[in-house]
Amino acid sequence: MSALTFTPKSDSAYNIDCRRLTPNILANLTAAQIENLSLLNTKNSPKITDCFDISGTDANHIIFKNTHHQLDYIGHKMSHGTITIEGDCGDFLGANMRGGNIICHGNANDRVGDQMRRGLILIAGNAGDYCGSRMIAGTIGIYGNIGSNTGFAMKRGTILLTQTPKLHATIQDCGTHTLPFLALLFKSFSAFNTPFNALKNLRVQRYAGDLACDGNGEILICNTNVSA
Amino acid sequence: MRGTRVIITALNHKWAYHAANAMTGFATSVIGCGVEAGIERELSADETPDGRPGISILMFAMGSKVLMQQLETRMGQCILTCPTAAAFAGIESDDQISLGKHLRYFGDGYQTSKLIQDSNGKSKRYWRIPVMDGEFLVQETTGMVRAIGGGNFLILATSQTAALHAAETAIEAMKQVPNVIMPFPGGVVRSGSKVGSKYPKMFASTNDAFCPTLKGLVNSELSDEIESVMEIVIDGLSFDDIATSIRVGIQAICDLGEVSGVRRISAGNYGGKLGPHHFKLHEIMGVASS
Repeated sequence: MSALTFTPKSDSAYNIDCRRLTPNILANLTAAQIENLSLLNTKNSPKITDCFDISGTDANHIIFKNTHHQLDYIGHKMSHGTITIEGDCGDFLGANMRGGNIICHGNANDRVGDQMRRGLILIAGNAGDYCGSRMIAGTIGIYGNIGSNTGFAMKRGTILLTQTPKLHATIQDCGTHTLPFLALLFKSFSAFNTPFNALKNLRVQRYAGDLACDGNGEILICNTNVSA
Repeated sequence: MRGTRVIITALNHKWAYHAANAMTGFATSVIGCGVEAGIERELSADETPDGRPGISILMFAMGSKVLMQQLETRMGQCILTCPTAAAFAGIESDDQISLGKHLRYFGDGYQTSKLIQDSNGKSKRYWRIPVMDGEFLVQETTGMVRAIGGGNFLILATSQTAALHAAETAIEAMKQVPNVIMPFPGGVVRSGSKVGSKYPKMFASTNDAFCPTLKGLVNSELSDEIESVMEIVIDGLSFDDIATSIRVGIQAICDLGEVSGVRRISAGNYGGKLGPHHFKLHEIMGVASS
């Protein structure tokens, strides 16, 4: 089975809410049922086919092709499967995520992983503001640049970065450490074709936070230049 | 019996052995120690989950409850405490028992868990417990399987040194067999036992029929030339594993030839009533020769 693939028909004048395009909702639906599905669960919602060309059948692996920054809420509340985004995406990528993997080969806008509880989000490009906001647990990796207020109100979870962002006052510097669990985490990244596969060094700068929310979350700054 | 396997890794093999030796210490017999445990083999860095040198250990107990209790206690006292050590599940099973699940509370609220996918895409939970040397990494659970303990054979030789040399030779060969351990010191037992005793409170006592100094006093199994007997006890994950181990061990002794001083190989079968599995040495060696 080939991956269920959504290709936006054209640049939209409006943002498109993709929260229903997840393995959870689309699993066990036929191609015809997916084509007739409304984009939102509202009376005047456009159908999926109004906004996307659809191909493939395997709803456990969803691909968004030729994407742009107006696709919001990709992977919302998903609990299993993999979503691959071959381009940029909008706000709230992986919001309320409960499991599974989201791989974004482009950039993401604000609020990546908002209230995320489990799962993995890897972004090869940049991410906007409030990445990991209100995060409950899980793992977010951003290989490129990141905006402000990273990890705002995060309770637990790991945000993996390659560059130190400007962090807000309630994120605390814990120093530089060698963390054994990163060997397992990096090994798990090898299942996906991303720049994160180059990470080998287990020595990271660790920031804990958000101290306003118990501070059990962490932001780890990886060194991409030094080998293990 | 129930058995489990734990993979212990550390900065280098030296510290992995420190952890593994502590973990498998005082674990020769379920009768007195609760569990029987031993080092199965050394693991290279590319064989372990975290890419560090490691040791594979096997642990066996008469029931799941004892195994769980002993595993938790030994994890807490021997692995958590050992510098740079980490512990991972070494066996897949639907029956999961705690490895770090309860140990995590040592973190006093600073412990964190990570769900990380393995190469098969299956998520496994690990606990990161802050300790003074950095972080202690431990998998939440490991698998528990049905296993077999107490496979054994006896080496009857013309002297103590001959019996011990033959036993050592057998143990070296048997260490190459996967899924088994020989839990006694150096893999060898000199105090084989029989069921029962003249003393009512004793469940087991010395195997007088195989004690060379009692020849003439008891109904001895030993001929005049036998001066020493050593026993090798094997625990394994399956009947075939133990049978293979016995065959390899006996063959190694036979390869030493007559000059080794070994005159006979026997086994303690306790009237065939101690457990459902019978390792019939002729059949086991017959398989080898066919």
